[in-house]
Amino acid sequence: MSNFRTNQNKSNTNKINVILSAVIVILVLNVALQIWLLYTALNYTLDNDTGVATTAFFGSLLIFFICAGMIYYLPEGEIRKKNNLFSPSLQKKDEKLRQ
Amino acid sequence: MNKDIKNIKDKNEEETWSQDFPFHKQNATLVGRREFAKMLALVSGGLALGSGLVAAKANFFPKEKVTGEHFVCNKKDIPVGGGRSFIIQGSDIPYLLIHLEDGSFKAYEQKCTHLSCSVYYKKGTGQIVCPCHNGYFNASDGSVMAGPPPRKLPQLQVIVKGDKLFVTAPSIESV
Repeated sequence: MSNFRTNQNKSNTNKINVILSAVIVILVLNVALQIWLLYTALNYTLDNDTGVATTAFFGSLLIFFICAGMIYYLPEGEIRKKNNLFSPSLQKKDEKLRQ
Repeated sequence: MNKDIKNIKDKNEEETWSQDFPFHKQNATLVGRREFAKMLALVSGGLALGSGLVAAKANFFPKEKVTGEHFVCNKKDIPVGGGRSFIIQGSDIPYLLIHLEDGSFKAYEQKCTHLSCSVYYKKGTGQIVCPCHNGYFNASDGSVMAGPPPRKLPQLQVIVKGDKLFVTAPSIESV
């Protein structure tokens, strides 16, 4: 069995930290973009221009889906992985115990 | 064997609930980066919902337009450089009718487009002023000259019939 992933994880111990920070930065940028969209939509709506509000809504919805998708890539971290009943490492332990 | 599995499951369940509902104060107040990221996604959903509400309001419940002509006052009731507040029947929006120094009459919504403070015409300057945050509008077309207001004042068209002043919805060209 290949031990490539294990070795990679051992040599780059900062990886999870960097991924987590990157996900947070992207989320913050997305939320900032949504605030700007909402502000612009409100301004144009009050100025009787409805087209902008609709476009801004679809843009905001798309950004929300991107944000929700980013949550999927949140690294769990080693401690949580061990505690998680559904983690691959624990499932292996379960299998061993069952045998 | 089954007992071992049960013990592991019990231990995990205990740790899961103690993570969600910690009984130590320092754990309860701690917001980890993962929780922060999840909260950002929740805020993002809230903002998308807000945008949806704005779009729904704009498309399905638009602002009611002024219909017909409405009498405000006689010409002599407003001196040059003066103004008069009025409300159109059936509406609760305050409007301001002003008599400019060039002899023309203009009517605008009296609510500042920044935070809805009441605006007034400053005599001799050609400016409509919002005293709350020093917003300045051009009295001849309602456009923003200075200050925090994000858009121009909504305008009504003034019709002069003899000595009487009427207002109506603005024509499309003047919007």
